Formats: sequence, structure tokens, C-alpha cells
Amino acid sequence: MEEAGAAMSSDVPTSSGRSPRRNEKNATVSVDSRTLIGGKSGQKPGERPVGTTTRRRLFSFVPWVLLAPTVLFALALTILPLAYAVLTSLRSFRFGQPLGFIGLQNYFGLFRDPHFYSSLGTTLTFTIAATTFEFVLGMMLALLLKEEFPWQGLIRSCLMIPMIIAPVVVGIVWRLLYSSDVGLLSYALQWLTGHPISVLSNPSLALPGIILVDIWEWTPFMFLILLAGIQSLPQEPFEAARVDGAGPWATFRHLTLPMLRPVIVVALLIRALDAFTVFDQVFVLTQGGPGMATEVSTLMVYKTAFRFSQIGYAAAMAIALLVLVWALSAAVVRSLQVQTHRQ
Amino acid sequence: MTSRESALRSKRRAFFRASLRLLGGTAVARFMPGCGKTSNKGRGKITFGSYADPAQDVLKEVFLPEFERKTGIETEWIEADFSSWFQKAVNDGQTRAGAFDIYVLDDLWMPRFAGAGYLANLEELGFHPAADFVESALSLGYWPPKAGPRQVGIEPQARPTLFGLPLIGDVQLLFYRNDVYTGGPPATWDDVLRMAREKSDPAKRQYGWVTRGVKGNPVVNSYFVLLHTFGGQMFEENWKVAFNSPQAVEALEFFLRLLDYAPPGVAEFDSDQEGQTILQGNAFAATMWTGWCRQVDDLAKSRVAGKISFSVPPKKVKQVAKLGLFMAGIAASATNKKGALEFFNWFHSSAIQTEFARAGGTPSMVSAFKDEQACRKSRWLPETLKALSMGVPSPRTADWYKIEDILGTALNQVLIEKGNCKRHLDAAASEATAFLKGAGYSVG
Repeated sequence: MEEAGAAMSSDVPTSSGRSPRRNEKNATVSVDSRTLIGGKSGQKPGERPVGTTTRRRLFSFVPWVLLAPTVLFALALTILPLAYAVLTSLRSFRFGQPLGFIGLQNYFGLFRDPHFYSSLGTTLTFTIAATTFEFVLGMMLALLLKEEFPWQGLIRSCLMIPMIIAPVVVGIVWRLLYSSDVGLLSYALQWLTGHPISVLSNPSLALPGIILVDIWEWTPFMFLILLAGIQSLPQEPFEAARVDGAGPWATFRHLTLPMLRPVIVVALLIRALDAFTVFDQVFVLTQGGPGMATEVSTLMVYKTAFRFSQIGYAAAMAIALLVLVWALSAAVVRSLQVQTHRQ
Repeated sequence: MTSRESALRSKRRAFFRASLRLLGGTAVARFMPGCGKTSNKGRGKITFGSYADPAQDVLKEVFLPEFERKTGIETEWIEADFSSWFQKAVNDGQTRAGAFDIYVLDDLWMPRFAGAGYLANLEELGFHPAADFVESALSLGYWPPKAGPRQVGIEPQARPTLFGLPLIGDVQLLFYRNDVYTGGPPATWDDVLRMAREKSDPAKRQYGWVTRGVKGNPVVNSYFVLLHTFGGQMFEENWKVAFNSPQAVEALEFFLRLLDYAPPGVAEFDSDQEGQTILQGNAFAATMWTGWCRQVDDLAKSRVAGKISFSVPPKKVKQVAKLGLFMAGIAASATNKKGALEFFNWFHSSAIQTEFARAGGTPSMVSAFKDEQACRKSRWLPETLKALSMGVPSPRTADWYKIEDILGTALNQVLIEKGNCKRHLDAAASEATAFLKGAGYSVG
């Protein structure tokens, strides 16, 4: 402790006369928070305290000073814009110019707006369907490709390709595939069914069509996270299960799945949050059509803010969505935590 | 000091000296090209912000360099896709950031930009429009508008003031196949329908008509001409919604009849698919923007080079065309208003406009449209001038976007359901009326 306290206090020689740099290795091992602020643990018994009250006060600011850049950064990038959005949602705008404070009127208007509910329903359908399919497919791929085999690296790299393409480009590619006149998929559907099927102009098919695009793009993400999770699991329980004669399904159900639960929670949450804010594909593929079939919430917020210039109303929509996403995420995390705890 | 440290120091010195030499050399090289140039050099820079569109290529590639050479004012062209540029321009206008000196605007944006004070008053800056301008094109640059109902909040006696100028004289023309319409352009919409019925052959991917059906602006633009041609209109004088009138319903029902002879899935078609259908020779007729004219004769892009002719859209009750001009205005927050004004004075002179037309651009001055050399280069210019002269713009209110979205969704629904015209138009009219009332319009 002696060397440790001296080493961490400063470069000034201690009362023992030793250079503080000599025992850095020990210092990193035994230092505690009191030594950091010049506490008594750095002194010899019976010796006059080196850290006076002034010095202690001085050092008590150090953690705050060190934390300050991060806190300021978070404030500037997260808290302030969010606070500004909340303020904006309480104001009325006309053609981008603020007219005045109107309290919660934008929120009341929102709760009466049938288009808002419709877009919310579309968004939730999209999120649940896309995330579920991506999880199931990602898990299947991860289980399939977790073992060593020839060309493993190449195959895994190829699977990553959709994920690294910009969503707008993905939208354009799929728009061509779905195109009712020259689209490969439309041609295949016509060949299969015998009559022309136009996916993006059919209200029943347009949303599934966009979900399929999302699945194609983001299943690799799910696969990547789940594969990393599976590979990091300890092997002993699996070996024990094998010795006990457990089959693949039982091993998966009673070992892999429960042990992988924290990874699954993170993967599902990240994907669900991302899917909830889908914009690019919808914008490129359908602009929210046909009719209102694919009008997701983010598209509605975008149009309200940038096309209709109803900035306050758009901000209210964004805040309402934020609260909803936060509540849903918290509920999911909590329920999974409870289940894990019980197990 | 050890010999190693000494060697290191001398290396550092050498590196430092080399860096200084490089910096000095770069600085000299930077100023060398300026030697011997005219005194025009260094008259500042004007920054254009625009949406990307091939119709502006001639302006960017030929006329901006020419302007730089003539005046010594540098130009910078920053562009983005249509929606992104709208956002950027609105942000710049709202924050008065002054990132752009000249905004290139869709004519639809003029009420928003002029009304919110994002544009400088050209009259105050000293711009005097020549009498040679196509009147309907120039009138789009005034705010409040010279004719029609006025946006809520604008006094009836407020004087129309010039805030923007036409940059590209874009308008919707009828593109038709001259090997199908051998007797010349269809005079009426019934002729278009008749020809479509007679000559369409879906098995050979030959369609009598193609249009844009995507919800929002595309389908509204497609319907707009038919609505007005059938005697309908979007609003009456007092902002009473009129797009569910009997004439409007009749126009939409006719639109549906035409769609029987259009490619499948037209409800998802935007401008690119509509244009490609024409360029690939799969459709006989469409109303499209003049921006496509040059492409139909481009052998690299078109299978029907020389087989497409242009005319003003046909008649029913009356004959109209939809205006969709590229406008330009000087940003209120521009850092070089003087330079921007100099560009406007230069580019909007009859002589330069004629040169612009001869180089393949679509001008906005009558004399340029009538120039023989220009008409030989761009055979659609005479019809474009006619269409501009009888052109109808989108309603002049910044609230049009919302109405367009409501109507565009309803029209898209009609296209999908292939019916229920009256029901969907009535529902859209009710929603639009409620919105206008909420926005403070005294809807009649």
C-alpha cells in the first residue's frame, strides 16, 4: 500500500524518499479510490498526513474533470436535441416559422389522428415480422455455420454482403427486382401463378415485399451476433449433455437457447429498434403506398416535418414514438430479465 | 548527445526543411496561374444549390464556365436529389446560414420560399424583367401570385413582387409515337383512347398509354392535365375544394379507362418507369416533362429515336398543359447577392437565352424559343412554347404539399381498386377541407 499510495498521488517524491515511478506495477494492483484523492491509505502509520484538506478538496474534483468531456458530449449530442424536440412539440409552426406555445395541443391532435394510428400499426407489423424472421433465419444460419468446414470464411463473408450495402441502394435494387414490367421477381411470380403479380402496387403484398427486403438485408446481422454468442459458450455443458445422450434438439432447447439468452436479448433489441425506424427502403420502394399500405411512422414524421412544414406536430409524433419505443424496450428487457432470474 | 540522437535531429531538420519547401512551392503554384489574367479575377464566388436533373446539364457544363470567363465571378454548383435538396434549402433558408447564393427551386416551392422570406426581393436588388419572358413562366416567380386565390395570411391588396426567375422552361408535353399516330398528334383525349384500344397488344408489350401512378406528387401530376382538360380545377376562387366536382370525377373515370391500355402495375410507376416505357418503345403516348425530350432521340438510351413526336396535351373541354418550371431565386442570406444578380442579368438576357436554346437548353424567353437554329437543334421547342403559354401551375399555396398528399393517396387508391372514383375523391375533398379550415383558410 505504501508504494501504491505514493505512486498514485503524484510525481513528487514521498516522505519515504522513494521515487513514485518505481513500483507502478504494484500500484495498479493495490490502489483504491481513497489513494486517488490523496487519502490516508498512502501513508505510513503514525506519520503526518500528506494529503491536507485543501489537497483532498482539490483532488475531489478530478473525477468530475475527467468525466466532464463525456458528459458535455452526451449533453450536446443527446440531451439538448431531445429537450429541443420536446420544446418544439409544444409549439405551433407555420411554414417553418414558430407561432407560439400551444401546450399539449399537438399531442391531443396526434391522438385524434387516424393516419398516425394507421402508420403505427404498419410500423409495429413491420417490426415484429421482420425481427422475428431475421432472428429465426439468423439462428438457423449461425447453428449451421458454427462448425469448421472448408470455405467457411468465404461463405461467412458472402453472407455479410447485404448488410454492408447502403439501405437506399438495397431499395433501388429491390425496386428493380419487383418492377412489374422488367422485374425478375415479378417475372418469377407470373411464371409460378400464371398471371402478372405486381408486388409494390398490391396493398396486400407491398408490406410483405418490404419486410422481405429488410429480412434479406439484416438477417446477416442477426447471424453474426448469434454466431459470436454461440462460439463464446463454454463447451463443458455441451460435452456433458452429449455424454448423457442428449439429442441436438434437446441440447439446443435446454442448453444453447438459455445460455444464449443475453445475446438474443441484445440482438433482438438492436434489430427491433432499427426496424422500428425503417425509412430508406419504404421511401425508395413505395413512398408509403399503395394507398396507406406501407406508410410507416418515420415516413409520416418526415413528410409532416419537411413537406408539410408542420414541425411542431412532427416533433410531437417523434416524441410519442420515442416514448413508445422506450416503454416497449423496457418491458421486453424486464420480462427477459425476470425469466433469466427465475431460471 | 549520442551519434544516433544527432542523426535523428538532422533527419528531423531535413524533413522540416522539405516540408517548408513543399508548402512554399504549393503557395507559389497556387498563385502562378493568376499571373497575366484579366482584372476580372477575384470578383468573388456564387454558390448554386440545386436538385440533380439532366435538364440542367447545359447550364452547368457550358454556361456557368462561360459566365465565369466573362465576369470573373467563380461559380460552385452543389446538388442533391430532389427531396434532399428541398430539405437542405429549407434548412438554409430557415437558419439563414448563407451556404447558398442561388437556390434552384421547383416552381411548386416558390410559395414556401418566398412566403417565408427565404428569398431576396429581386425588384429591390434592381432586377428588371425583360418583356421577352414567357409570361406564364415569369409569373411563377411572383409572390403573392398575380392571379388565383391567395394563401391565408396574405392581404388581398398585397402587391405581387418578383422573388424568382425561370431557369428551365419545363412543362408537360404529349409524347406520342409518330409511326402509330400517322395522321399527326391526337386532337382530343378520345383519340388517344381510341388509338390505345385499337393498337394495344399486351402480349407483345405494346401499350396505348403509360403514366405515373405512385401516390403523392407523381399521380397528381398525371391527373392534373386531365382534370383541367375536362373543365375541372383543384380549387375555386375561395379555396373551396373542387377536385371532387362532376368534371373531376369524369376526368378520373377517363383516366381509369386509359389505364386499361397501360402496362400492368402502373400504380407503382414513377417518372423513371414511365420514361423507360416510352424509350423502350412499349407505349404509344404519355404526358411527360420536356426534360425527357432529348433522351428520346439519344440512340444510347432510346429504341424509338426519331419515332417520338411532341405536342401540347390533347383537348376535351379545353386544352391545357401542366407547368413545372425550374425556378431560381437569390437567397435572402446570400453572401454574394451582387454576384448572383449579375448572373441573373447575364443569363436572362435574350442573347444568352438564345445561345442557351441553341446549345440544347430549354429557355424561358420567347425569342429564344423562336430561334430557327435552336428549333433545329431541339425540335420540341415550338410545342414547348405553346404548352408554356397555355400552362397551368400547381395551386399557389405552401399548403399544397399536404393537399397533394391527400389527393395523391386517394388517386393511388382509385388506380389500385380500378374504381370508386367518386367515393375516394369525396373522402379526399373532406379531408383537404378540414385541413384547410384548420390552417385558417376561409373555405367557401
